[in-house]
Amino acid sequence: MGSPTDEFFASLEERGPELLPTRARGTIRFDLVEDGRVGHWFVAINRGNVLVSHEKRAADCVVSTEKRLFDEFATGAAHLITAYNRNDVSVQGNLPLLLVFRRTFPSPPGTRDPRERVRARLGGRTGPGRLRTRSPARMERQETQQ
Amino acid sequence: MKELVSVLDGSTFVLSDVQGDIDWSPDYPSGLFAGDTRFLSKWVLTIEGERLTPLSIDDLQYYESRFFLVPGEPTHYVDAKTSVIRHRIVGGGFEERLTVLNHRDEPAVLSLRMEVASDFANLFDARDGHSRTGQSTRTVEDGRLRLCHRRGRHVVETVVSSTEPAEVDEDGFTFRVHLDVHGQWSTTFHAACLMRGADGGDAGERPRGNLPERPDRRRELVRWMAAAPQLTADSDVLEDTYRRSLIDLAALQYFGIAPEEKVTATGLPWYMTVFGRHSLITGYQTLAFLPHLARNALWILALLQGGRLDDFRDEEPGKILHEIRYREPGGFEEQPRSLYYGAADTTPLFVILLDEYEQWTGDAETVRQFEFEARAALTWLDTYGDLMGDGYLWYERRSPKGLENQCWKDSPEAITYADGRLPTHPRATCELQGYKYDAKMRAARLAREFWNDPRYADRLVREAEALKVRFNRDFWIEEGGYYALALDGEGNQVDALASNMGHLLWSGILDEDRAEQVVRHLFGDRLFSGWGVRSLARGQGRYNPVGYHNGAVWPFDNSLIALGLRRYGFEEEAARLALTMFEACRYFDGRLPEAFAGYDRKLTRYPVQYPRACSPFCSSAGTPLALLQALLGLEPHEGHLTIVPAVPEQLGRIELVGVPGRWGRIDAFGHGRLRLAADE
Repeated sequence: MGSPTDEFFASLEERGPELLPTRARGTIRFDLVEDGRVGHWFVAINRGNVLVSHEKRAADCVVSTEKRLFDEFATGAAHLITAYNRNDVSVQGNLPLLLVFRRTFPSPPGTRDPRERVRARLGGRTGPGRLRTRSPARMERQETQQ
Repeated sequence: MKELVSVLDGSTFVLSDVQGDIDWSPDYPSGLFAGDTRFLSKWVLTIEGERLTPLSIDDLQYYESRFFLVPGEPTHYVDAKTSVIRHRIVGGGFEERLTVLNHRDEPAVLSLRMEVASDFANLFDARDGHSRTGQSTRTVEDGRLRLCHRRGRHVVETVVSSTEPAEVDEDGFTFRVHLDVHGQWSTTFHAACLMRGADGGDAGERPRGNLPERPDRRRELVRWMAAAPQLTADSDVLEDTYRRSLIDLAALQYFGIAPEEKVTATGLPWYMTVFGRHSLITGYQTLAFLPHLARNALWILALLQGGRLDDFRDEEPGKILHEIRYREPGGFEEQPRSLYYGAADTTPLFVILLDEYEQWTGDAETVRQFEFEARAALTWLDTYGDLMGDGYLWYERRSPKGLENQCWKDSPEAITYADGRLPTHPRATCELQGYKYDAKMRAARLAREFWNDPRYADRLVREAEALKVRFNRDFWIEEGGYYALALDGEGNQVDALASNMGHLLWSGILDEDRAEQVVRHLFGDRLFSGWGVRSLARGQGRYNPVGYHNGAVWPFDNSLIALGLRRYGFEEEAARLALTMFEACRYFDGRLPEAFAGYDRKLTRYPVQYPRACSPFCSSAGTPLALLQALLGLEPHEGHLTIVPAVPEQLGRIELVGVPGRWGRIDAFGHGRLRLAADE
């Protein structure tokens, strides 16, 4: 198996169209530094379709950071925009395009669907038709009448 | 509370005392701030070791002001021998021109000192008094003072220089000023706010130290004012307030995370950044006046729409942003601020604004462009937004540092039962259901007319109508004749009497035959203060006239209620609410704050300031505009602008010339013919 970064980019062409708005269009190059060497990932987005290569070509947006940190973006453990705010990522060019591309990063490891969390906690007391639809005042009165 | 002077340009602002000094204060964040970071925390001028006393202050423009000062305590200045003018401008950086005038018949030599320091606090530390992480240094170089703060790779700097030579030390600038008989001397200070990028250079799109040329900015403001409709009215308060609102909205424009479009910052000083809710509401309020505000809000929020599940950020796919923070507060996530999604109302409001925007402007291209985001938002409403799987819109925070309430009343104790108890989670507040209903009804129009998807449109209408029926059954409190504030986690009604149900009129989810009862409550003496509708009714367990969401009057809340009153045909009540809000404007010099106290008008006779309220605040600046819309009855209708004025006698004639829209420009006139029933 490759690194999380390799896997992230390998699945991107397949995942992209579902995650990206159709109007998204442009190119992003990721320059990832590892052991003093720079690896390149070139991503071309066109109407939601995504093509990935290793070309070192001019791009609308160039993102530079450490490979180690990008591995964390790729698993969802770290957040690209937070790292950018902290200056651990530098961005040149079209930042809005990168903000759109942000949608392709996965959730942090171990994230659960919030609906499942609520349903697990409330144990079946969810779903349509469960409401008692009584105001507290009315409930009290009914109780005293009984 | 100490009086403060603000100079402001987008997300850069200076708060100082009336002398123009910035000094530590326990109750207010004075300083020079840019992008949520304080770049100067000390900026204190002395002459011969003495602080100065203000004679007057000129607010020349929102981005510049001028202080006229004399040395010494007030009792001494009767025959001042020296006076000082501090003229300051902000925008990216900060500039202050200091002029000293000698009024003596003889030359004078004065020692003048500017104390300079920065703690580089982020806005929240400045508010909460937390200490800082990281290292700070001060360096004197080439007659400049460089203040620097480093945390990891995050480096921020303030570089202060003076055009006249000075003795510079690590704490400031000292000048020996030689003045001729009746002579004068000046120098100009520049403070550049820099942030170094990962590569050591000044970070790309973020605020820099360069000030735009002043004539350009004046022209920009003139253009801004000219683009809006021109108002002529019998009422001076109306005219002044209108002008003030337009200027404040201009002052709040800034280039945020993306440099393509300016967006609207929320409120000075705490929220000088984009908040989804208030950007959307301000966009809605200003459609008849400055429609590009709505366009820009939709653009930035579409760009930042939630893309994944992220508990720390309360983020879900399709959800619209709560707030964004830059720089250090956004980079070191003690709190989830860089991008935070803890709001359940922003997502339906996004869809509502998209539709309303098109109705006014005819900009079909934008509706087609944002189809992906709008559909994602609608999907969110029925998936992650419907936490309980029963069709309502619910919220519950997952982020340990997130917001407990994720509706507009987002303070921890805002959603309560009448007796003051706090409900269990998740919660579904009533106005959220109104927004969900409205979003679906409007999206149905968009799907039919622009997305070529009539089946989707039919489904949306069916779902919205079903929601309306159930809502009117489940939220209605028969005994009280009003709608519950919320449902709690068990599905019980949260029965506090609150302003939220006013929004139901705006959304159109109310059953027609119950509207009158709701309106009677809104204007009853428990909810109506005499200036506006209180957030929470007097007599409720947690009511407090100075309670942020538990009794204070919120202008934007009232503006949506006024529009809702018009929607349901309550012209007189809409006019009455608009009138009382405009009467309140007079006491705030035309600038409605974020909120003001809910005291009874009969008790205080003037609207009481809410401590720490933001001002200017975007959706409060938008409120007078929305109220004008309500008074003139402006509505886009099948490509036309309908004008059905209902103006109270007290406001007299109102002429709004050049209302922009798909019709080009149309003039709207209203005459004060409506006689309102006497108060009591």
